[in-house]
Amino acid sequence: MTIFKMLKFLLFLFFSQLVSAAIVQIDQKLVNKNVERSIDLTSHLVKVTAAITLENTGTSPISNYLIVLEPGTSGNLSFISVKDALKEELVVKPTEVAGHTDKVFYNVILKQPLGGSRTVVLNLEYVLTEAIVPYPNEITQKEKQFVRYFGSHYFYTPYSTTKQTTTVTLNSRNIENYTKLKPVSQSDSSIIYGPYTDVAPFSFDVLSIHYENNAPFLTVTHLHRLIEISHWGNIAVEENIEIVHSGAKLKGPFSRYDYQRDTSSNHHSVKSYRTILPAAAYNIYYRDSNGNISTSTVRTRKDWIELELRPRFPLFGGWRSSYMLGYNVPSYQYLYKKGGNEYVLSMRLLDHIYDDMHVEELETNVVLPVGVKNVKLNAPYEVERLGDGKTFKYLDSLGRVVLRLKKSNLVEQHIQDLEISYEWDTLTLLHEPVLLAVALYVLFIIVIIYVRLDFSINKSEKKE
Amino acid sequence: MLGLGKKSASRAEEQLTLLTFSILTLASILSFATRLFSVLRFESVIHEFDPYFNYRTTKYLAENGFYAFHNWFDDRAWYPLGRIIGGTIYPGLMVTSTVIYKLCWLLNITIDIRNVCVFLAPLFSSFTTIITYLLTKEVKSEGAGLVAAALVSIVPGYISRSVAGSYDNEGIAIFCMLLTYYTWIKAVKTGTIYWGTLSALAYFYMVSSWGGYVFLINLIPLHVLTLMATGRFSHRVYVAYSTLYCLGTILSMQISFVGFQPVQSSEHMLALGVFGLCQIIAFIDYLRSKVSKADFETLSTFLMYTVGLIFLTGVGILTLSGKISPWTGRFYSLLDPSYAKNHIPIIASVSEHQPTSWSSFYFDLQILVFFFPAGLYFCFSKLTDANIFIILYGITSIYFAGVMVRLMLVLAPIMCILGGITVSHLLNKFMRNMEQTKPPENRKKQRLESNYILKNETSLTFVGIICVLFISYTFHCTWVTSEAYSSPSIVLSARSYDGGRIIFDDFREAYYWLKMNTPEDARIMSWWDYGYQITAMANRTILVDNNTWNNTHISRVGQAMASSEDKAYEIMKELDVDYVLVIFGGLTGYSSDDINKFLWMVRIGGSTDRGAHIKEWDFYSSNGEFKISKEGSPTLLNCLMYKMCYYRFGQLYTEGGKPQGYDRVRGAEIGNKDFELDVLEEAYTTEHWLVRIYKVKDLPNRGV
Repeated sequence: MTIFKMLKFLLFLFFSQLVSAAIVQIDQKLVNKNVERSIDLTSHLVKVTAAITLENTGTSPISNYLIVLEPGTSGNLSFISVKDALKEELVVKPTEVAGHTDKVFYNVILKQPLGGSRTVVLNLEYVLTEAIVPYPNEITQKEKQFVRYFGSHYFYTPYSTTKQTTTVTLNSRNIENYTKLKPVSQSDSSIIYGPYTDVAPFSFDVLSIHYENNAPFLTVTHLHRLIEISHWGNIAVEENIEIVHSGAKLKGPFSRYDYQRDTSSNHHSVKSYRTILPAAAYNIYYRDSNGNISTSTVRTRKDWIELELRPRFPLFGGWRSSYMLGYNVPSYQYLYKKGGNEYVLSMRLLDHIYDDMHVEELETNVVLPVGVKNVKLNAPYEVERLGDGKTFKYLDSLGRVVLRLKKSNLVEQHIQDLEISYEWDTLTLLHEPVLLAVALYVLFIIVIIYVRLDFSINKSEKKE
Repeated sequence: MLGLGKKSASRAEEQLTLLTFSILTLASILSFATRLFSVLRFESVIHEFDPYFNYRTTKYLAENGFYAFHNWFDDRAWYPLGRIIGGTIYPGLMVTSTVIYKLCWLLNITIDIRNVCVFLAPLFSSFTTIITYLLTKEVKSEGAGLVAAALVSIVPGYISRSVAGSYDNEGIAIFCMLLTYYTWIKAVKTGTIYWGTLSALAYFYMVSSWGGYVFLINLIPLHVLTLMATGRFSHRVYVAYSTLYCLGTILSMQISFVGFQPVQSSEHMLALGVFGLCQIIAFIDYLRSKVSKADFETLSTFLMYTVGLIFLTGVGILTLSGKISPWTGRFYSLLDPSYAKNHIPIIASVSEHQPTSWSSFYFDLQILVFFFPAGLYFCFSKLTDANIFIILYGITSIYFAGVMVRLMLVLAPIMCILGGITVSHLLNKFMRNMEQTKPPENRKKQRLESNYILKNETSLTFVGIICVLFISYTFHCTWVTSEAYSSPSIVLSARSYDGGRIIFDDFREAYYWLKMNTPEDARIMSWWDYGYQITAMANRTILVDNNTWNNTHISRVGQAMASSEDKAYEIMKELDVDYVLVIFGGLTGYSSDDINKFLWMVRIGGSTDRGAHIKEWDFYSSNGEFKISKEGSPTLLNCLMYKMCYYRFGQLYTEGGKPQGYDRVRGAEIGNKDFELDVLEEAYTTEHWLVRIYKVKDLPNRGV
C-alpha cells in the first residue's frame, strides 16, 4: 500500500514536473509590490522596461514568475528578456496557463526559489514592433508626421499589483492628445501615469497617445546576410538589404525645390543613416543592381567603423530601396582553433544596420570551407534552420556546405554571436592550388605532345 | 659546318618565334589594359545607351537559355506594340558573352555576367591585335604584322567603341571582320575549300554580330571583280569565292534578323552577281579548253547575249514584284551624305550618323593618316591578290568613314595595317644601311655606294624621326583614350571650383527610384534616347527606345512633348502614359539634355500626318533663334517639354550674380517662370535636377 502510494506520488511528481514545462499555474500568493514601468516611444519601436519588486505573501517557496502580454500585441513582440537585480539573464520560456488560453504567457524561472514573505527585484525588458501607427496615414511633403500608440494604463500582469507608475517618453513636445487616467502629469516630452495602487490581476485600461514623431520609420523587409569563410585568413560578409519607409505615406508630389530649401534636421523623410561595422572591416562596398552608390562615407572610430549610408534617393513614407553592403574581416578575430581539427566560428547572426532597427525577415547563410565535417550550431536564440545548401565558389570542384538560418521580427537586441563549430583538415587548403597546377600541367603536356606529333596524311612538300 | 649552320638557323628561328610571341602578347595586354580607364576611374559599369540593351538581353539569354531568347517577345518596350527581340537583333554578341559566362561557370570561375559584358570588348580587342598581325603577315611580312598589331592595339578610332563597359556589337564585330578577311586572303592564296569554309564560318559570325556585314559582303565580291578585271582570276579565287558565297549565304540566312535579305535586297546583289559571273567565266574557260577558237567565239557571243538578257529581265521582274527590296535609308545616306538630313530626321538626329570632320580623322588616327597613302603606294608597287584586297579595303573604308562618323571604326584597322606596311618597309630599308659599319670588301662596291652621302647618318635620322612619331602616337592615343573615350556617360563627373571631383549620379538615381517606387507595370514616356536605359535599369515599360524601328510612334511622343499641356494630355492618355521622364541640364550645365534635343523632337513630331500642326518655325523667336528666355516663341514657352524642364526652376538660384531661374546651359534666364502644372505632378527630381519625373494625373472625376 505504502509502496503504491509512494509510486503514485513519484508518478505525480514526474508528471507535474513534465507539465510544469508546458503549463503552469498562476500562484496568487505572489504579489507585485511595486512596478516602475517606462515606455519609450521616441523611435518607431515600443521599448518597455519595467522594474518589478515581487513579494511572496505565502509561505511555500515559489520558483517561477509569469509575464503576460497585453491583448493583441503577441504578433508584435520582437524581443523579451528578464534580468535579476545582479543584471544576470534569467531563463524566459513561452508557456500556456490553464483557463487563460487566449493570452500569451512567458514563464520566468527564478534563480533561487522565493521564500515566504521575501522580495526580489526583476528587470523586464521587451520590444514591440509595428505598434506605433502613423495617423493620418498619408501626409504631404511639408506636413509633420503624427503617430498613435495604444497600450494599457496598468501594467498587464496575472498578479495583483500594490503600486505602480508608468513613464512614457516621447520625442517631441507636440502631443495632439493622450488619455488622462488620473493621477497623470506631463512634463516636456514625457507623461507620467500613476501611481496607481491595488490593481487587480489582468486589469486593462486603454492608454492612447497621439503625438508628433519624426523619427526615421525604417523597416528592413528582408535581410540576406552571407558569411563566407576562407581559411586563407579572410571572412567575407555581404548583406542584401531591402528597406522601406514604414511611416505615413507621401501624398501628392515630391518637390526637389522644397526639399532642398527645407534644411531642418527634423523631417519625416530619411536622407541617410549610420551603419556600424566591425573595426577590422576593409574593402567595404555599397552598391545596388545598377552599380556603385557613390554617396557614402566611411569614418573610422576607435572601436568600430562608422558608415554613413545615403540611399540613392531620400526615403519618404512608402518609398522603398534596396542595396548590397559588403566587407571583409580578417579571420583571426572570428575563427578559433579549438584543438585538433576543430574550429569555431563566432560571428554575429545579425549585425547593426541603423539605430533602432527593425528587421522583418532575416536569412543568414554561412558558407563553410571545402570539406568540413561534423558541423555543430549554437544559436544565441531560437532560429529556424533551413536545409543545408551547397555552393561552388572559385575553382571549387567539391562544393561547400552552406548553413541557412532564418528568423523573423528582429531588433537591435538580437545582435548576438552565433557559434558554429566544425572539423576541417588543413590539407584541404591545398586543394585549389593543386587543382590549378595539375590543370596547367595537363595543358602544357597536351601542347607539347601536339606540337611533336604530325597529324597530316601526306607529308607536306615544303618540309623535306 | 652544315650541321652547325642548320643549328644556328633553327636558333635564329626560335629567337624569332620568341620575339614575335612576346611582342604580340605585350600588344594584346596593352590593348586590353588601355581600355580600362573608365573601370579604374569609375567602376565596372555598362556605358551609354545601346550597351544597356545588349546587357539586358545577354542577362536574359544567360538566365533563360537560347530558345526562350529566340522566342522572346518583349512587352517592356514600344508599348503597346511590344518588340520581338529574338527576330530583331544580331545575337552574336549576346551568344558570345553567354558562352564565355557558361564556360567560366563550368570551370567554377564564378564571374558575374555583368563583368563578362563589361570586359568583353577589351578582350576582343586583344584578339583583334592578334588577327591584325596574322592578316598583315599574309599581305606583307611578319615585321609589318608586328608593327600593325602594335598600332592597332591603341588606335583611338577603334578604342572609341571598345573600352571596357562599351558593350556593343562593334566590340566583337571588328574582330569578326578581320578574321573573315584573314581567312578570305588565306583562301584566295591557297585556293582550298578548307580555308573557304573557314572564311564562310567567320563570315557567319560576323553576320550574327553586326549589321555592318553588308560592307564585307560587298567588299569581297568587289575584290573578286577587280581580280577578274585585272586578269588575275584563277581557279584559286573561283574555289574560294564559290565556297564562301554559297556557305556564307546559307549560314547568314539562319540569323532570323537577316532572313531572306541575302537573296532579296539590293545590298547583297553585287555578291550574287559576282557569284554568277564567276560561274560564267569558269564555264567559258572550260569551254575554251575544249572547243576550237572560231567555234568558241560564236558560242561566247551567243551566251553573253542570252545570259545578259535573262539576267536583266529577271532583275527587272523581281524589282517590280517587290522581291528585291529598295535600299534602306541608312544605306542611301552612305552614298549621299545629305540624303538623311533631307529625308529622314530620325537618322539625321543621331550624332554618330553625321559626316566626319577632318579634325576627327587626325584625332582618331594621328600619324596613320600620313602613313596611309604611303602604305597604299607600297601595295601598288608590288601588286598581289592580297594587296589588291588591302587597297580596295582601304579606299572604300576611307570613303565610308568620311560619310559617317561611326564607320571610323572600320577604317581604323586598315589604317593600322597600311601604317604597319609603310613603317616596316621604310625601317627595313634604312636599318639595313645602319648595320653596315664594317669596312667594305672591295673598292668597286664602295665607289658605287659612296653615291649616298652620309648614308649612315641619314638612316639614323630617319629611324629617329620614326621613333619620335611613334612616341607621339603613343602619347596621343593614351591621352585621347583617357580624355575622350573613357567616360561611361551614365555617371558624369565634373571639377568643382576647388579642384575636387564632383560626381553626378543622377541617371541611376532616377532609374532606381523608378524601379523601386513605381508600380511594376507603370508605363514611362521619355525621348527615345533613354529607352534602353530605362528598361535595363528601371525595369519598366517604355513607349519608344533606341531601336528606332517605328517612326510614327516616336513621332507621337515628339508631338506630346511639343504640344501644349492639354493637347499633350490627350496624347498621353491615348498612349496610356503613367510617368514622363525628362533630362534637364539647366542646373548642372549638362549640355546634351532634352531642351537641346528638343528641335529634333519637333522635327520628328512634325514629320508624320498626325503631327502636321507642329511646325518647326513656331518654336523659333521672331528673329529666328531658338531661345528659352523671354524673347523665345510663346509656343516653345508653353509646350509640355518646356514646362516639365522648368517647373519651379524659376525660383531657384543657380549661379552667383545671376537672377533666379538662370539656365546654365543656354546661358539665359528662363522666360516663363511662374506656372503650375495642371495635368502632371512632380513625382521625383534627382539631386542635381538632371532627371525629372512627372506623374500623369488621372482624369478628374465627373461632376467635381
